[in-house]
Amino acid sequence: MTDEPLLEVTDLKKYFPVNAGVFGRHVADVKAVDGVSFSVRKGETLGLVGESGSGKTTIGRMVLKLLPATSGTIRFEGRDISDISARQTRALRRRMQIIFQDPYGSLNPRMTIGEIVSEPLAIHGIAKGKARMERTVELLRLVGLQSSHLNRYPNEFSGGQRQRVGIARALAVEPQFIVCDEPVSALDVSIQAQVLNLLEDLRERLGLTYLFISHDLSVVRHISTRVAVLYLGKIFEIADRGSLYEHPLHPYTQALLAAIPVPDPALQGTQKRVLLSGDVPTAIAPPSGCRFHPRCPFAFDRCSVDEPAMREVGVGHSVACHAVENGTIR
Amino acid sequence: MALLEVRNLRTTFKTEDGTITAVNGLSFSLDAGQTLGIVGESGSGKSVTSLSIMRLIDRPGRIESGEIFFEGRDLLKLRDEEMRHVRGHRIAMIFQDPMTSLNPVLTIGEQIAEVVRLHLGRNRREARDTAIEMLRKVRIPSPEKRVDDYPHQFSGGMRQRAMIAMALSCNPQLLIADEPTTALDVTIQAQVLELMNELQRETGAAIILITHDLGVVAETCKDVLVMYGGNMAEYGDAKQIFNDPKMPYTQGLLASLPRLDAPANARLKPIPGQPPNLHRMPPGCAFAPRCTYRLEQCDKPVPVTDLGGGHLARCWRCTEALVPVGAAQ
Repeated sequence: MTDEPLLEVTDLKKYFPVNAGVFGRHVADVKAVDGVSFSVRKGETLGLVGESGSGKTTIGRMVLKLLPATSGTIRFEGRDISDISARQTRALRRRMQIIFQDPYGSLNPRMTIGEIVSEPLAIHGIAKGKARMERTVELLRLVGLQSSHLNRYPNEFSGGQRQRVGIARALAVEPQFIVCDEPVSALDVSIQAQVLNLLEDLRERLGLTYLFISHDLSVVRHISTRVAVLYLGKIFEIADRGSLYEHPLHPYTQALLAAIPVPDPALQGTQKRVLLSGDVPTAIAPPSGCRFHPRCPFAFDRCSVDEPAMREVGVGHSVACHAVENGTIR
Repeated sequence: MALLEVRNLRTTFKTEDGTITAVNGLSFSLDAGQTLGIVGESGSGKSVTSLSIMRLIDRPGRIESGEIFFEGRDLLKLRDEEMRHVRGHRIAMIFQDPMTSLNPVLTIGEQIAEVVRLHLGRNRREARDTAIEMLRKVRIPSPEKRVDDYPHQFSGGMRQRAMIAMALSCNPQLLIADEPTTALDVTIQAQVLELMNELQRETGAAIILITHDLGVVAETCKDVLVMYGGNMAEYGDAKQIFNDPKMPYTQGLLASLPRLDAPANARLKPIPGQPPNLHRMPPGCAFAPRCTYRLEQCDKPVPVTDLGGGHLARCWRCTEALVPVGAAQ
């Protein structure tokens, strides 16, 4: 792993307009992503965790240029890709790819497995004829499938096998960087581990870099080298895996970790659990100041007025919280 | 006497490619006031079991055989009319997705009141008061106002709490919750589970909690039924299942979880292979094709072994000290 950032995102925003009335007047914005900055170094896996509506999927889509950003810059391999042309975007797709959550919806049911995996090779003119076929078989083997699967259709496969097909398709163009958007959430528990191990093996063998998006903190802890915690379109805390899980500082990170049920009945009742009250507010009108303050057990006057900025509190560990800044939480 | 006793339940579905057996000879029982967790992966038959108990299996599905004794009566022998009185009144159910189980054109209050009027014969005003009272119980803020809201005005967590309010409004003896927190965020899940635990202590209702999340089961259930391929793989109290699992499937399932209390870079130990295809079920133990400890006799139907202390396992080798399946890799 080097320190050179492969991906650098600065003050990225995505506002979805809300229109209303007869003339479709623009009345408000859903601030899905509201000023997010982070970088991903070559060879590392950055985990993006957050609950529904935190903006994690939107960030992934913007990084891949599947969705235009409202503002902010995205640099990939040192180059600003925020405003590149459609042709340049297509070339970029050879460098970055995506694995989707739903292995049922993301594979065309009328295409064979061979057609699905070889399609990127055709689109990017990477291989033709026999070479394309050989490369397709090689890709299937790489993800633990066999050449006998080539002419079969997605409906003949289980969820885990379909997700392997999705991974093979993403790897076809030999990308450097892959956005994994909840890649195991739709899979059964016994299959999740298979796919997570496969992703780790591939990262090592092919020198890949991942942006791993998930709502599951146990999965993120397992696969990530660094983790960013999102809430309502903002990053609240970012740190190396070890610091984040062993020494979480932001009250939201602490509450998230405490809320995970642990599969060990012996531990029941021994943990003290900080139960968060209330629901996640809407991203159309996020609370003033720190957008977590209405649910925060540590909130004080300043939190409802001032929005806290990200501050570095340790090596590679940054937090946006007034209570951390003034030493209430340490 | 047990509150609920399921004996030899067999539920099948006719499909274009032949008949599949979703639940295949399942037996278990549940005492009053207890919490039973049913865990299993997709296709294990856990949801079909609960729908069978409620007699909500519609064509092409069919309950082929078995008995479901509830409060001493076999539910499968009741007339439809009698069953309607049990459903929603003595046994209530909540589903995974509260948005699709609530009627979008009726207010939350109307929907709770409807249940109360139907089953308890209350008049309009009393039923509305009960609805407000129930919403208060499940901690909906200012319930006397929110009772007139429509489901879309509630957040996901509030909708699930409204479903719980509706389910508990007639004081059921048994509450069946099918993946009640799966669609919810983890901080909201914690609130809903806490609420269910509290309400159970208060009302004394028995709960069947159906989930794929082993953590949720460990936190809420006294007893656990592990299902695989339409039948019981293992049954026991939470300590037996989580700390001393005997069936290789249960062992493998626990070993394959990424856990917050394990070393972060420890490699996961997956169960090899794929879940069984219900169209091509193995003749014997459904788990045999994925099992490292498979013997010849595993290809014939495997009986349940009683390990003592209420711990049951469907496995020839459950009395041996086995190394968990994934660990062999």
